[in-house]
Amino acid sequence: MRLAIEGDSNAYATILRETSRFLKPFLAKRLSFTNEVDDLLQEILLSIHKARHTYDGNRPYKPWAYAIAKFRLHDYLRDHYADQLRHAMDLSEVENNLPEYVTETTMSYESISGEVDKLPEKQATILRLMHQDGYTAKEIAEKIGMNESAVKVAAHRAYKVLRKKLENGKPER
Amino acid sequence: MRNIDELITKLAQDTATVKRAPHPFMLSIEWMTVAVLYLAIALMISDVRHDLLVALHNFWFATEIAALGGIFISTSLSAALLSYPDLHQMRRIVFAPMVTFALFVVVMLLAWQADNPPAPLPVHSFACTLSITLVSLLPAAWMFHVMRKFASTHTHWAGGIAFLFSFSIGALWLRLYEQNDSITHVLEWHYLPMIAFGIIGMWMGKVVLKW
Repeated sequence: MRLAIEGDSNAYATILRETSRFLKPFLAKRLSFTNEVDDLLQEILLSIHKARHTYDGNRPYKPWAYAIAKFRLHDYLRDHYADQLRHAMDLSEVENNLPEYVTETTMSYESISGEVDKLPEKQATILRLMHQDGYTAKEIAEKIGMNESAVKVAAHRAYKVLRKKLENGKPER
Repeated sequence: MRNIDELITKLAQDTATVKRAPHPFMLSIEWMTVAVLYLAIALMISDVRHDLLVALHNFWFATEIAALGGIFISTSLSAALLSYPDLHQMRRIVFAPMVTFALFVVVMLLAWQADNPPAPLPVHSFACTLSITLVSLLPAAWMFHVMRKFASTHTHWAGGIAFLFSFSIGALWLRLYEQNDSITHVLEWHYLPMIAFGIIGMWMGKVVLKW
């Protein structure tokens, strides 16, 4: 870098290439898209070029380059999230654009509860313990003296029956 | 990746030699020298307080001036380091103003306790803050102008510390000019506004020192 500051263009190109080589994984770890990494890397290289007079060659180069990279990365992320917030849609706007049938069903919570009551006693008990009282399959198995996998199978069968009933109750699209 | 290679080639062609930034200690000394000259000129124009020699024999006044001098030196050093992207890899020295400021607060609290019976409050109040601000604005503007030539990656702190440095010049000037021994007054109208200006400086730093 010292040579680069003194005007050696080959040395400068080499140091910039080396810088982009070690900064790329640093940025890739923090950003999701390759094009973002490339864009930011270009910006960082420009910043390094602009700030090269603040490096004297008497101290390690990497901490200096990383300091600039972090500064630009934070800048980029701040702008990125501010942009996302600006373009974010209000939940009520999204709701207005949703088709009616997504949120509307002929089945109410009470009617689902009613359907659960119509299930065989064991299945109904398992579902109630799972979803009303918050027990795990293992705890239910201990409570009602069943095998854990048997509890899971019974719950699965009950879901299947309920799904069928719910689908039949769905309004026409 | 091709774009990056092209950019590197383009940047490497810009072989114009750049003037290296001075060492931060040299920069700090340069700032302090100019500030002391400015303070001397300001005191020559306004004249020093008539009882300065007597006041300097007062232990708490002398200690207050010394502590303020400590803030002046440490903020200059810290601002110089904050002008570099990597703080010139001397991170610890950047925190020096915190130590001198804590020392200053202790000195002021002890001086406040020692001010018994309290010295009479001067009739003016806000005029002091205004005077300090007016005297400090020029050094503040100059500091920001110089710091913009560097590449600070801690723009908030750089701005805040630069303002504290400038306002310490103003505060020193007023303490050496105004014939006033009321600690309550100096705390309220000299030093508390100085902290407020430090916070304004942080915001200014974010705006002005962006690069």
